[in-house]
Amino acid sequence: MPWPPKVFWVGLIIMYGSAVLGWTLEAVAKMNKIAPLPILYTSIYSTFLLPVIIATLYFFFPERAEAKRAREAAAREAKKAEEVKKEG
Amino acid sequence: MVDPIVVAIVVIYLLATVLIGYYSRVRLKSAMDYYVAGRRIGSVVNGLALESTYLSPASMLGLPAFIFLLGYPFWWAMVAIICGMPLATLLTAVALRKYAPVSYADYYADRYGDERLRWWIGIVLILGTILYITISLVGMALFMVAILKIPYLLALTIGTVITMFYVVYGGMIATSWNAAMQALVMSFSAMIAAAAIVWQLGGLEGVYYAAHASYPRIWNTPADFPEIPHVFTGAWIAIICWYFVWHLGFATMPYTVVRFFTVMDLKSARRSIFWCALIAGAFYVSLQIIGITAKYMIEKHHPIAVAAGGNMTAMAVLTQIQKTYGIGTIVDYSMIAAVEALGNPVILGILCAGGLAIAMSTAAGWAVVINTVIARDWMVKLLKWKKAEERPIFYGRLIAFIFLFVSFLVSIAPPALVLDLSGWAFIVIICSIGPGLILGLWWKRATRTAMWFTAIFMFILSMIAWMRAYFILGHHARFFLNDILFANPNALITPHQVWVIPVGFIVFVIVSLLTKPVEEERVQKYCVELTKEV
Repeated sequence: MPWPPKVFWVGLIIMYGSAVLGWTLEAVAKMNKIAPLPILYTSIYSTFLLPVIIATLYFFFPERAEAKRAREAAAREAKKAEEVKKEG
Repeated sequence: MVDPIVVAIVVIYLLATVLIGYYSRVRLKSAMDYYVAGRRIGSVVNGLALESTYLSPASMLGLPAFIFLLGYPFWWAMVAIICGMPLATLLTAVALRKYAPVSYADYYADRYGDERLRWWIGIVLILGTILYITISLVGMALFMVAILKIPYLLALTIGTVITMFYVVYGGMIATSWNAAMQALVMSFSAMIAAAAIVWQLGGLEGVYYAAHASYPRIWNTPADFPEIPHVFTGAWIAIICWYFVWHLGFATMPYTVVRFFTVMDLKSARRSIFWCALIAGAFYVSLQIIGITAKYMIEKHHPIAVAAGGNMTAMAVLTQIQKTYGIGTIVDYSMIAAVEALGNPVILGILCAGGLAIAMSTAAGWAVVINTVIARDWMVKLLKWKKAEERPIFYGRLIAFIFLFVSFLVSIAPPALVLDLSGWAFIVIICSIGPGLILGLWWKRATRTAMWFTAIFMFILSMIAWMRAYFILGHHARFFLNDILFANPNALITPHQVWVIPVGFIVFVIVSLLTKPVEEERVQKYCVELTKEV
């Protein structure tokens, strides 16, 4: 069965975890009543920084994996060519 | 009297739009250029285009209005909209770019091995297109009427003709480049207005206290019950439902999904979402600031309130504005009025250009989706119409023109229902054809029957639920069976009947498990080759 890469689930946990943590702190510690905290954690962190961080994770890790695969493929090719050369 | 600076800024923006449309024709050489911009769009341009296309006037006017009405808890709904953007990266964007289809319906027809699906997808899209283009044209006109003080019909005509010009003329190439420019204009307009408000109120603490002074409950949450800001944000279930209502749209909506067909490679597809989240996040932070301070700004600084000696409520000011122009609802003007209260013609001019930008880009985005589905999928692939095959660009242009013109006619006297229905159109697409899109890639067992059944059943169920909530309970935010199950119309708050989204996925899974899977080679292609190493 196809399954999204691990980094997808990490991003999902960070995203929903942040929301649930924010709601919990609002309910328990009344964080929303402290000026200007809600502007900092809901607006600047959750609306701006968090999506940018997750979007970065979602291109950085797949690209790193792609580069690694490309390096491995190149190494295999080189090895193969060397073997052919030796045999020849 | 309108300040000439305001007019000059708007004219410069409109000229830039026309010029980009005109020069795009040079690069338009084939039907592929017209439909998917020749798959040559880079990540920055595509990211910006994604932002301006996805976010409609419902964002720029509607979300600050929602904050004005529902208070701070509504900010969490905006958090979810932006957080939903990165989800698309690994869920749909890369896999669909690998597949590289031309139209939105290609995926469904091929994955489920049934060309007839193009008919149903097209019908759903026709509905979405007319509703979204209408709301965009009305939003565009509302900005011009309220800021440039020109008659509604003239404003509507100017906006429609310019959008028509560049979409019909330049297709996806013009739409992409214009949408990128429009993203910068609309985001900058909101950022500069929010920065001016923060500056005027003396920083973030000033923003907090000003909002509190205008409405002492504004920062409250359901934990402060019964001192809640509004009944629609008065329970945690309501907050969770607001959070998820628009969350999955970016990964499934046709006008964003087709943008992944236009990028040059997989890397660009992934990175374009980074750029989109970056600019859209900044835009939304600005809208949050404007929305939360709107009441204070209008009551203290709006010219109408000042002329009345500072004794008018924000609602009274907005009612007077709405009566003057006669379009939209009272709170639709809250964002414009809050910025007008700054008394700065440059900011007001940029805001008007931003309002036109966000509306034009959404209208154009839908027009290019529908012209491909009708002119290529219906006319060529299903009806095998020779003329459409020989002259694809002409028929693409014709379809775009027809949809913009029909939406223009609807916009002349738009019933309130039509404008509200755009919210339902958003939900119906996610719940009826979204499960088939996401599970078709990530679940081998997804079947053709499940696709058909979910697409039709969820369309009807969501329509009945939405209509019942709207007409019988008075608002789409109320759960449609509140009166029957709980004898209280406000018992459960489920905006736009958001519960239909998980129900759509559950229905799809159940029907799939009960019916015959599609051919193995299709499963192999979609669930293995396309999703491997996304």
